[in-house]
Amino acid sequence: MSDFVPTPNPERPDDPFLLRGRVALVVGAGDPLGRAAAVALAEAGADVAVATLRAGPQEVVRVNSVANEIWSLGRANTAITLDASDANSVDAAVARASSELGRLDILVNAADLPVAAPLDEVSPDDWHAILDANLLAPAMTARAAARVMKVNGYGRIINLVSVLAARGVANTSAYAAAHAGVLALTRALSQEWARSGITVNALQVGIYEGQHGFGDDPETVRQVARMLPAKELVKPEDVGPAVVALAADSGFITGETIAVDGAATARV
Amino acid sequence: MATPDRFRLDGQVVLLTGAGRGLGRAMALSYADAGAKVVGASRTLSQLEETAELVAERGGEAISIATDVTDPAAVEGMVAETIDRFGRLDILMNNAGGGAEGDGSPLEQLTDEQWRWGIDMNLTSQMLCARTVLPHMTERGSGVIINVASGFGLRGGRDNWMYVSAKAGVVNFTRSLAVTYGPAGVRTNCIAPGIFPHTPQALERWRGGRYIPVGRAGVAWEMGPLAVFLSSDAAAGISGETIAQDGGGLAAIGPTGWAPRVRLTEPT
Repeated sequence: MSDFVPTPNPERPDDPFLLRGRVALVVGAGDPLGRAAAVALAEAGADVAVATLRAGPQEVVRVNSVANEIWSLGRANTAITLDASDANSVDAAVARASSELGRLDILVNAADLPVAAPLDEVSPDDWHAILDANLLAPAMTARAAARVMKVNGYGRIINLVSVLAARGVANTSAYAAAHAGVLALTRALSQEWARSGITVNALQVGIYEGQHGFGDDPETVRQVARMLPAKELVKPEDVGPAVVALAADSGFITGETIAVDGAATARV
Repeated sequence: MATPDRFRLDGQVVLLTGAGRGLGRAMALSYADAGAKVVGASRTLSQLEETAELVAERGGEAISIATDVTDPAAVEGMVAETIDRFGRLDILMNNAGGGAEGDGSPLEQLTDEQWRWGIDMNLTSQMLCARTVLPHMTERGSGVIINVASGFGLRGGRDNWMYVSAKAGVVNFTRSLAVTYGPAGVRTNCIAPGIFPHTPQALERWRGGRYIPVGRAGVAWEMGPLAVFLSSDAAAGISGETIAQDGGGLAAIGPTGWAPRVRLTEPT
């Protein structure tokens, strides 16, 4: 360690929330939070590649419509399907995003496969499927993206997880374990790439409006919202700006998890 | 291309304590850049006036109110003068605080006066400012409070007594403010800065950032964008939260740069 050379200080930008000239890859752009992230990044001036892990016909429509929104904001975009359990597929997706859009600065992992069932009903195969979608995917996309980011000495990786990563709710064991795993992944990778100019952070999102299986049933929404100071659920469009803030950060925030949950985890 | 509107603070008034130097001065400039009018408060008027001059040079507006934020009457005067001058108060940035005489000593040598002063300066001051501004915010049904804690509010330090205790108090005070005044439209959050040396000597004391995971110390301006983000509508979904900006320090454990390798082995 005697040959320590300090990392150069960042220059103060004229506008700290603009992402002009930056390229982002948003995985899970067909999900509400991924869409919000992609649109907010484009509004801040980034070009955005949108990707999905699940290429069903409706999902393709959803992802293409997000790509169209980005296009209508005047930003370059591309839509990609990838299989997180296949390293070649992940590498190809990252290669395509960075070649079509010219570089890769920002990775947002927003793919979300919510599942809730008593553990008694979760088979080992179910467990693997839930962990693959929610934990393997962000790990493998980060792996592929970081290889490109290291070359430039610059990267911003933002992992989106549910508040269930931090608090227990019955019937969410596999899903919650996967998301808690993403927080551990975030901390470990923040250290692994700390001297490569890559920051790795997480947004821990409360139960949000329209969330499949959690925020789309009126009675559940009413009961969860009653616990929050604002008496309403977090909205997907409140998550987008937090993604922008981390994507535009000067590099001193890393390994951190920020709750976007309307103070849900602040109370007893 | 302009900053997305949600990140702007045009026409808003921020009351910023500890604005005469260091992080406070840097945040004053960022607030002004975001369109806010800045009321700077601290004990030393000459330093505040220098900050106000720097704000004016950037085309912003700042006034200075010499205030001892540990004195309830002085805090009431400060808030009254703010309302008197600008007619509104949107944001309280509770930044004043610092190391106290007696921190660094063995506990057996600590005097009662040293303890009270350290807690007063770093915790009671934030309570006094919050208590005094809240009626103005709840009456309007909107407002933002941001408390500055420290990485030392989340971890202990050897021979560090008042500072760690007060800053930990700040983190939890933040949560109760968020839960209590959220229904009245007031969001409260906390920033936990890591190492931000104010002088070359201080930077040297921290060995140039050698033991910080990202390989450098924080630069004062870096806290400005985070403060602006949390103050703005872009952070509408975030309340009761503490955000560490510390170069990855709190995410880490063990020696800096520790990167063990352990082979996956078969059972023996």
